[in-house]
Amino acid sequence: MSHGKHFTLYSHGTGPNGWKIASFLNELGLSYETIYLDLFGARAGEHKKPEFLKLNPNGRIPVLIDHKNNDLVIWESGAILLYLVDKYDDEKKYFGINDKDKSEVLQWLFFQVSGQGPAFGQAAWFNYYHPDKLPSAVERYKTEIKRILGVLEIVLSKQEWLAAGKFTIADLSFVPWNDASIVRETADFEKDFPATYKWHQKLFQIPGIKAAFAERERVIAV
Amino acid sequence: MSALQPFKLYTWPTPNGKKVTGFLEELKLEYPEIDYEAEKIDISKDIQKEPWFIKLNPNGRIPVLVDANRNDFVVFETAAILLYLQQHYDKKNVFGFDPATEPNDYSEALQWIFFAHGGVGPMQGQANHFNKAAPEKIPYAINRYVNETKRLYGVLEIRLKERDFLAGPGRGKFSIADINVLPWVRAYPYTSIENIDEFPNLKAWVARNEARPGVAKGVA
Repeated sequence: MSHGKHFTLYSHGTGPNGWKIASFLNELGLSYETIYLDLFGARAGEHKKPEFLKLNPNGRIPVLIDHKNNDLVIWESGAILLYLVDKYDDEKKYFGINDKDKSEVLQWLFFQVSGQGPAFGQAAWFNYYHPDKLPSAVERYKTEIKRILGVLEIVLSKQEWLAAGKFTIADLSFVPWNDASIVRETADFEKDFPATYKWHQKLFQIPGIKAAFAERERVIAV
Repeated sequence: MSALQPFKLYTWPTPNGKKVTGFLEELKLEYPEIDYEAEKIDISKDIQKEPWFIKLNPNGRIPVLVDANRNDFVVFETAAILLYLQQHYDKKNVFGFDPATEPNDYSEALQWIFFAHGGVGPMQGQANHFNKAAPEKIPYAINRYVNETKRLYGVLEIRLKERDFLAGPGRGKFSIADINVLPWVRAYPYTSIENIDEFPNLKAWVARNEARPGVAKGVA
């Protein structure tokens, strides 16, 4: 890579997970070059081709390469966030320091990557992309979206942040999927989950997240 | 350089919308006084069927261009929009041909525009409908329209043998004939066509168009 930036980030415009990484790199003030993979045209199916599979055998974005660490390749957004905290957040501004706080950040992060992401993803898949119309599948996953937002609502009604009493990578990780159009098709976010909605809107004002989503607008703009 | 007001483009990121944004981004690079403002019309919510939109385009479809520089003149139908923009705003004929001095190239460009507008768009659109949106799976319909889409790709393949672009002398030049059909062809994965390897000239043409910065920005 000859771009001279600290990292290369493989990402995607409308896909949610790359934006977690862009947001966090922005917050940490680290430089990166983004390569947006495409579903269409000359780059169609790039993520399943041998050159990309060499980087991530799972054939998905995001993938991050650290050029100041022997071109180390990391995939799985949760693992990428933890790597960046480990190596580049010396003061653990975005993580817990004592055992309780560390544990809280991790549990919410794991809930996001295993719960929110896949469930919201399945809802979107069956609602928008699945070749057959399967109302029962759509219903199942939309119900799960509401359940998950309900879990967040219980906690965020009582406290400002998910973990460690401050903004951490746990909060950041939830933003892209909570912003997805499938959520707007499922519930009245503001009315049904007011505390979660307030927290979600507040997260967009955090500079690194704000900048990432401004970039996202530019990338997916008509 | 006269000051131009930005065009208003009511659109959505479909292949048809991207024909126009692709061309506008190319125009912007060539003519810096040109700009446009895209207003997203969410067709999943049928905004384009609302009365105010029907007043602009009775067909109730995107994209629609409104030109403040010509008394808010309204243009709909993508090929008509491309021809309109080329006629009024590509004075150097970078992306088109002069009907008076280059009548054959002009006619050829029109032929390929009509071919795409009447063939590729509607047929691939039907393939997409029966693949993804129809309430029931009808194999006959899916096969009919996917096969016709591939047949049309084959026609483009013939044209692009020993040519870089669809219209123009020799190997051709990038013109509105190309941008008029590129967004449809590049969306072949959505049409459940696995790859276009059997159309090597077409495949190269897609990459060649996407390598242009204006096209890349406008069709992404």
